[in-house]
Amino acid sequence: MTTAIAGPPRSTGDRADEADTARRPKSSWAPYLFISPFYLLYILFMLVPIVVSLWLSLTEWVGLGTPHWVGLRNYRLLATDISFHRALGNTAVFVLVAVCVVVPLALLIAQALNTRGLRVRDLWRTAYFVPVVVSPILVALIFGLVFDRQFGLANSVLRALFGTGGVDWLGDPSLAKASIALVMLWRWTGYLTVFFLAGLQNVPRELYEAAALDGAGRLRTFSTVTLPALKPVTAFVVVTSFIGAAQIFEEPYLLTGGGPAESTLSVTMFIYRAAFQRQQFGYAAAAAVVLFVLVFGLSRLVNRLLGIGRAS
Amino acid sequence: MYTPPHPNRRALLRGALGLGTAAALTACAGGSATVRTSGEITLALWTHDPGYEAFFEKGIPQADRRTDFRYHLKVTRAGAPDIVTKLLAQAVAGRGTPDLVGFEIGSFPRMLRGDIAERLLYDLTDDIAAVPGLKADLLPARTAPFSKDGRVYALDSDTPMVVYFYRDDLFDRYNLPKQTVTWEEFADLGARVHQEHGASMCVVSTAGSDAGQVVQSFQMLLYQRGGAFFDADQNLVLDSPEAEDVLRFLCDGLRSGFVIDVSDYYGAAMQTALKQDRVIGLPMAIWYKNYGLVPNVPEQKGKWRVKALPRFARGGAATAAVGGTGFGVIKDKANTQATREFLFNTWLTHDGQVRRFTETGYLPTRRSVYDDPRLSAARDDFCGGQRLFPLYRELLPQVPPFHQSPDQSILYDVLAGNLLRAYHGDLSPRQALKQTAADFRDQAGR
Repeated sequence: MTTAIAGPPRSTGDRADEADTARRPKSSWAPYLFISPFYLLYILFMLVPIVVSLWLSLTEWVGLGTPHWVGLRNYRLLATDISFHRALGNTAVFVLVAVCVVVPLALLIAQALNTRGLRVRDLWRTAYFVPVVVSPILVALIFGLVFDRQFGLANSVLRALFGTGGVDWLGDPSLAKASIALVMLWRWTGYLTVFFLAGLQNVPRELYEAAALDGAGRLRTFSTVTLPALKPVTAFVVVTSFIGAAQIFEEPYLLTGGGPAESTLSVTMFIYRAAFQRQQFGYAAAAAVVLFVLVFGLSRLVNRLLGIGRAS
Repeated sequence: MYTPPHPNRRALLRGALGLGTAAALTACAGGSATVRTSGEITLALWTHDPGYEAFFEKGIPQADRRTDFRYHLKVTRAGAPDIVTKLLAQAVAGRGTPDLVGFEIGSFPRMLRGDIAERLLYDLTDDIAAVPGLKADLLPARTAPFSKDGRVYALDSDTPMVVYFYRDDLFDRYNLPKQTVTWEEFADLGARVHQEHGASMCVVSTAGSDAGQVVQSFQMLLYQRGGAFFDADQNLVLDSPEAEDVLRFLCDGLRSGFVIDVSDYYGAAMQTALKQDRVIGLPMAIWYKNYGLVPNVPEQKGKWRVKALPRFARGGAATAAVGGTGFGVIKDKANTQATREFLFNTWLTHDGQVRRFTETGYLPTRRSVYDDPRLSAARDDFCGGQRLFPLYRELLPQVPPFHQSPDQSILYDVLAGNLLRAYHGDLSPRQALKQTAADFRDQAGR
């Protein structure tokens, strides 16, 4: 037996709407027209460059004239290029500094800034954030003066405090890397602090009160309340820091030019150098493709590890 | 009879869009290629140096008198390396290239890669040959850096000889002899001066961010000693006994204090060193007076002097040449002929070369101009009224040749790192040069 379900009686207006719909063409272009700017720009500025880069990476091109097809030659050369290996190693160090030093430090500073009763909180927040908005050229100029071996501020302070100076901050390969890391720390910690601070301010007070009632100390509260509550923010910060540090360019380019002896050469600097100093556009494109694959693959891995996009 | 339907609004819109697109594409295409042979003309000049801009602006009346053109200049200034990058970008775009371009010598090797120079730059060789006596008069040492396969693609702005700048007052106070002595004797004096007064008489740059500067300190003395980076066939010839001599000399000088390492020849570090009398002399190309001394220590006007470099006891010349800017003409443009004529009638004339020295301090690139009495008579206020030109004329026959290679930037990158390691004592001079040659071979030609 079937049961017929009768709908509400249809009005004359409804019938008129139906007639209108019937008169309209079935597939309208209007919605596509409205969303087309995004796709056009996406194709123009994302897909086309990616495809062209891929094609260029299989050629040898000096920047003018016709590129010559060389197949996978550029990738084979990259595999044995000591400079590229150095650049990968240096970039890995910068990524580690960004993820393992800058992010935790930013979290600690945010926690300190979130403390109840802290005076002039906004001033602190601004002070930490200011380095981000300072032009990288200025940063390089200032730190160039600070790290100067003969007349720099850092060595003057060392001389005044310990009677010893002459540290070659930017001329010694290991110290140059450390100097770049210091600049990264100075420049990006405050920026990430703002994200953590926003996250901390959204943690419900009741959770802290409950922890206090349970007799949890500061460390316990931090590990059982703060950290889990900040997981989405942390995941975002870690992934963006990772991607940003993997593409680091300004700090080493302006401060050390990738030297001394390529000790601060990053992969993006390697790409820039190949393309715009050595006119090896195919080779640069191949290095860019490798960087893209590495960053994409590793950021997917980090996403998976941090559970981004998964329901909690 | 069939009557065509009136176009509806949509068809009209479509037509208008099509016409607009066609017009836009036409506008985007390159400009008219009809060669201009006379009349009013505006040349697009790209340069990194306002001195050149002023020189060419002042040269317009002379060019107007000597050609069928009435010149105007539209000048664009950019950083030296950016000029090449932007030029290539515009060339790929097929429009927006300048007519006349100044290539700083260190950036020009990028034009030597592949067939870029041939494709983009007008070959000036035949034009030079067409002017009676010009080819023999132009200094080969200044055409070689801007040549490829014997063809000249740019004309140099200078014969930038390396001389010794020194503080006359402090040399007197420290009882230092002003006659030219050997570098070895000079280094002994320098060690004593450093010990007694904390001053240095030679400088090497350790600017990490500028490989060119680091290399330059070594390059000047290397070429003076008779060594070179590349030979005429663009082969690397750096790993030589001369290079080892010079690098050892600098490393020893750093240990004794005769040489000081300064992070930047032009910036705050050098300014401090000069103002504190920590640097009382240095070997440098003649243009350093205008770019390093005058801007950094204007108050020391009248205290500086110039003399010939000390010689190396084991051989070499009395000078070297470092720097320069070659002006090239972009080929196959409506203004190409006008630009060639402009360049030849400002840059290469006798009066133009005299004016270049008196107005910008750049030395002539034609031998015959060195005999001009106006140049010998010129006095330099910053150098206490010293007449500098007789010294330069005396040094001219000893300017060593200089050749560039498309792989030069690779050499600079690897050499700068190894020089710093040698200066720090991490590598011996021999090891540093061998390592440089090995690194260069590994990277060149990829």
